Formats: sequence, structure tokens, C-alpha cells
Amino acid sequence: MRTRSLSQLMPLIAPVHILILSVIVIPSLYVIWLSLGQSSFGQAQTFVGLQNYYNVLTDPAFRSALWNTVILVVVAVHVELAIGLGMALLFASGLPFRRFLLVAVLAPYAVSEVIAVVMWRFLFDPDAGPVTLVLKALGLPILDWSFEPTHAMILIALLTIWLHLPFTFIILYAARLAIPADLYEAARIDGATPFQSFRRVTMPLLGPAIIVALLFRYIFAFRIFSEVWLLTQGGPARSTEVVAVYLYQEAFSFNAFGTAAATAWIMVIVSLLLAAGYVFILRKQGAANAH
Amino acid sequence: MSDNFAKITRRGLLGTALGGAALLATRPSFAAGKTLNILSHKVHQTVLGTGDGDLLADWKKANDAELAFTTFDSNPLQDRLFREASLPSTDYGVGYIIDNRPTPDVAKLFAPLDDFLKSAPIENYEDIAPGLREAMTVGGKTIGIPVRHATGGLFYNEALLEEAGISAPPTTLEELIEQAGKLTFTAKDGTPVTGMIMASDLAVFPVSFARAYGGDYITKDFKLLPKPEAMEKALTVMADMFKAGALPRSYATTKNDDQVTWMQQGRAAFTMITFARYKQFNDPAQSKFPGKIKAVQFPKSQSYDGEMSAVTESWGMSIPANFADKELAWSYIREVSSPRVTLGMAKNGNGPVRVSTYADADFAAASPVAAAEAKALATARGAFPPFAEAARAQQLFLEDVQLAVLGRKTPAEAVESMAKRITPLLPA
Repeated sequence: MRTRSLSQLMPLIAPVHILILSVIVIPSLYVIWLSLGQSSFGQAQTFVGLQNYYNVLTDPAFRSALWNTVILVVVAVHVELAIGLGMALLFASGLPFRRFLLVAVLAPYAVSEVIAVVMWRFLFDPDAGPVTLVLKALGLPILDWSFEPTHAMILIALLTIWLHLPFTFIILYAARLAIPADLYEAARIDGATPFQSFRRVTMPLLGPAIIVALLFRYIFAFRIFSEVWLLTQGGPARSTEVVAVYLYQEAFSFNAFGTAAATAWIMVIVSLLLAAGYVFILRKQGAANAH
Repeated sequence: MSDNFAKITRRGLLGTALGGAALLATRPSFAAGKTLNILSHKVHQTVLGTGDGDLLADWKKANDAELAFTTFDSNPLQDRLFREASLPSTDYGVGYIIDNRPTPDVAKLFAPLDDFLKSAPIENYEDIAPGLREAMTVGGKTIGIPVRHATGGLFYNEALLEEAGISAPPTTLEELIEQAGKLTFTAKDGTPVTGMIMASDLAVFPVSFARAYGGDYITKDFKLLPKPEAMEKALTVMADMFKAGALPRSYATTKNDDQVTWMQQGRAAFTMITFARYKQFNDPAQSKFPGKIKAVQFPKSQSYDGEMSAVTESWGMSIPANFADKELAWSYIREVSSPRVTLGMAKNGNGPVRVSTYADADFAAASPVAAAEAKALATARGAFPPFAEAARAQQLFLEDVQLAVLGRKTPAEAVESMAKRITPLLPA
């Protein structure tokens, strides 16, 4: 086998390195540099050390936004997983009009987030929304989302679950289809009940796919912005603000680039911490499969 | 080799065509010798007219120049403009700036226009409302020429007032509150009507209510809540309106656009919004009540004897300091600021910055709210002056206003919280 020296290989691998450097590494370093200073339009940057991080972490508005984000992420991602798993199993068990239903389930992923929010805003308008009117006509309680912060959070969670369910579903459905049918047949011959088949065959084999889906959704969901911004703009009175909205306000409303950059890095660290458990499991699974 | 070189392949042809198109796309149009790039809100472009109604047709011909507008909504526009002006150089020659944005730091990004005003003066410059000119002057330097103002007036739906047995719009704040209460009803056609609608994300509403009682939010000389009891009274009144249903249940998420649609659909009887919206409210293509939505000045309380200042926001045209061809940019600004173009833009729905425009008979005939607008403009001033932390302060202010209106804080607690949280943000 012919070996090549590093100098011969460099031109071949350099484009990837240049790409990663230019779109990830250098911007990240720039944001770190920004986070260590105080600057705005027309102002030269002044070095303030870790003051921006301190300011952000001690700001009650940030802590409230972080809390809202964590609640939304944990609830939305796990509800999405439960529904996505149920649907994947239902589809795999054989459904009439499967192709049509598949298109229907995947459709929300094809809808622009902005359009989706406008649509949901209209449907759930607390004064004249069709859903509100139907609920009222049936004598059921309405989602008073423009007044009650809890209702607003529920609506945001419902919207984000509806929008992103197809992602979780398609990963789990593909993984479920990849499980060989003879394993279920063997389980059945051994006398396993459907629940035992699910517990002993389906779940262990879906494990890696579930971890991947959870990991991606944790990271994506932590950046939740448009659903909140377009639905409530963080209101009433900042009660539904999430971290990405807080960051947007710092950067683009208040033009405080230092605190915005610090917020961005805090977001990265917190989302990594949230996902760390799943990353650990994924690495363990990867190591186990390697042997 | 030479055969291969001369041979035209499909791939080669497509590549050349795409490359050529990309090259052409990166350069200005062939139609004119020069292109002036402008950063503005869409409305600034629209009011200049198009086709036969293009108010700048002659200027374009005389200068052999075309205009290329890049438009955004207000906040993203200001952000983009400041970013462009922060670069070593920019292709944008003119940027539209809002009067409460140019802090001393931001003002440094724009070319001082005083020398241009001397060397190539704007026709009858003194005719432009002094308050608007002053708003574009930072540290004694003119950094923008006023081009549009948005002064708030009280709009009412005459048809709904008549239906509720009300013969005239309110002349005092107390009457407004009483009428808004009466107009919270179900109309004959079955539409549930709310007395008044106002956006909760703009300072203009609580500030107007506070001014109606002789108070304010932040004065020109940076005094926060100069009469706290007036702000407390304003919040009490707004909270009572919300409790009575005279403000919609969705108050906390109501935006400017909602005000327009609710009024057009007859879902609200009153709103406060810029006079320039008159045309839109009464457009038969959009409104269920064309010709029935009228405006008066926002009334003050009968308990207040002083002058009631309407809240205004104005736009100015500025030249980024890092733009090369400032002469061309100034030429555009001069033309747009001329009495002729100001009048033309006013007829197209722009809030005119020249006092003389309101005296024009054609304009007055075309805009029934012109007289009320001129009267309001005479004493109008911004909701707050520009300072570095103005946006953050406004957010804290609105947060407390919302909490008071929704009943989660008492008005007294909200006023106390405003004073405590906003004071550290004010310039020393």
C-alpha cells in the first residue's frame, strides 16, 4: 500500500479545515472576544473580563428566561419522543392509508415556522380564534395565552411539539423498520406478550435512535426562538421569554454586544450540560458496538 | 488541443452563462450612470410614488441616477443601518433614522450635514417643524434631515359611536373612558366590540395617558417620571379599562398591526395611532367602515389645566460617514426635503414635516385629519429622548405597565419599580 506524506495530503484535506475554521472556529473565537468586552455601535470595545458573564448570570430576566427554556425543552422534547415513538410503532404495525397518513404526519416539518405561528395565533386568538370559539361553545376552558403565562407556555410547547414531531417520528420510524421481523417472531415463539416484545426487543434496539433523536432535539429545542418571538414576544411582561429571545434583545434591541456574546456562550454550555447525559450514553453505546 | 479549446460544450455554455449572469448581478443597473443605495422602511419608498407618479423622476433624469431601496421593519432597519455605518466603507448613501436612536456614539457614525446645509441649502429649511429638526441634532451637529413624522391621534369608529347612541367623540380623557366602556358591546351585526385597542409593546400609549394627567415618562432633560402620581393615575385608568373589558383580553400580545385590523373590522371602537393611518382605515378594499373611521387629538383629563403634548416619532435622512459619494446622497436628501416632494409624499400618506404642507388646500381636502394632525404636531414631542440605554429602559417601563394593566402589580408598585430600575440606566 502506497503511503503519502502529510505535505502531499494537506492540499486534499485543507478545504475542510479552512471551511471549519472560517465558519465555526474563527466566529466562535470572535464571539468569545466580544463577550470579554463592552461595545455597541459607535463605541470602541473596552475589556471588562468576565463582567458580562456575571451580569448575565445575575440578571433576574436571564434566570427567568433560562428556567422557561429548560421547562420548554424538557417537556417538549420528551412529549415529542413519547408521541413520536407511539406513532412509529403504530405505523410499523401496519395502518390503512399509510402513505397518505405519512404525508400528513410529516407535513408540519414542511411548514415555515413563521407561517405556523401566524396560523396558530389565528386559531387560538383568545377573542375570536376558531379553536377558542369551539372550546367555548363546548363549555370547555380556553387557552388564555395572552393573559396567563402558564397557558402561553402550554401553547408554545404544543406548537413546538407539532412543528418538530416529524423529526423525532421519522428517526424512530426508520429505526423501527430496520429491526428484523424474525426477532419478533422468535419472541412470539418464546411466549412473549406484546408488551414484553416491546420491552425486550423494540426498546433495546431503538435505543441508539432514541438517543440520537433526543440529543438533536435537545440542542435544537434549546435554541427555540421564532415560536416564542412571533407568538408572545416573550410576554406578557417577559413571563414567557426564553434564552434565545433574551440574546436577541441584548444584541439587536439593546445593541449590547458584550452581554449578547456572553449569553450565547452560556447557552452553548447549558445546552451541552443538558445533553451531556445522552452524549455519555451515546459514547458508551458506540464503544460497546466497536468491540 | 486547439480543437478542444474551440469546441463549445453544454457544460461550458451553461457555466459561462451562469458566471456572466452572476457578474452582471453584482454590478449596478445599466439603465443609469449611478445608483444610490438607500436603507429605509418600505413606507419611505412607497410614498415617493412610482411610474407616472414618481416624485423623483426629474431628479433621476437630471442626475443620471437610479435609486435602489433596501427596506426593513423599523428595528432591523436601524440595526442594519448602524452596522453599515460601522464598517470601513459602505455602499449605502442614505439611511433613514428614527429620532430616538442617535445617541452621541451613534451620531458619530453619520456625516454632519451642516456644511451641506450652507453650501447647497434645502429650500425653505425653516419651514420644517423646529421640534423635528431639533430631534435630528446631536451635540450641535445636524445628522439627519426630517422626512416623516408619525404623530398619534385618537381614531374612532363613527358608525359604532352612533350605534351606541354617542353623538360626538370624546373631548376629555374621562369622556373617552366612559365612551370606551359603553362601546364594549355586541354590535348589531353580531361583532363583539371592545372599547379601545392599543399595542402593549409601545411606550406611546402609557405615555399619552400619563401626559393627559400632566405627567410623562422621561423628559428631554432626562427626568424620569416627573409627576409620578400622573403615571400612577394613567396606569390605574388603563387597568380599570382592562378589568372592564374595554381593552381586549389579548392586550398583552396586541401589536400595532392588530390595532389596524381590529379597527377596520369594527372589533374596536377607539385606538390611538399615527394620523397617517387614516387612508388605510378608510380604504374600502380593506375596511368594513370606509369613511367612518375618523380622528381627533388624544384628549387630556379635565383635571389637568396644562398643555397636552401628543407623542410623535420622526424619521430623518442621514448619510453614513463612511459613504464615498456624499454629494449624490445630499442631492437626494435636498430633493426629498423640498416643499414639492414633501407635499407629494403627504398626499401619498406620509406625515409631512413641513408646516406649509398643512396649509395646502389640496392636501387638506384629501386628508380630513390634516387639521387635527397639524394641531397635535404643533406641541408634539417624542415619547423619550435618545440615550444609550433607551431601548432597555423602554422594555423595563413596558414590563411594569403590562403588569399593572393586567392586575399583577398595583399601579403604585409599578411606578415605584420603574423609578428603581430605570434610574440607573439614565445618562449621568
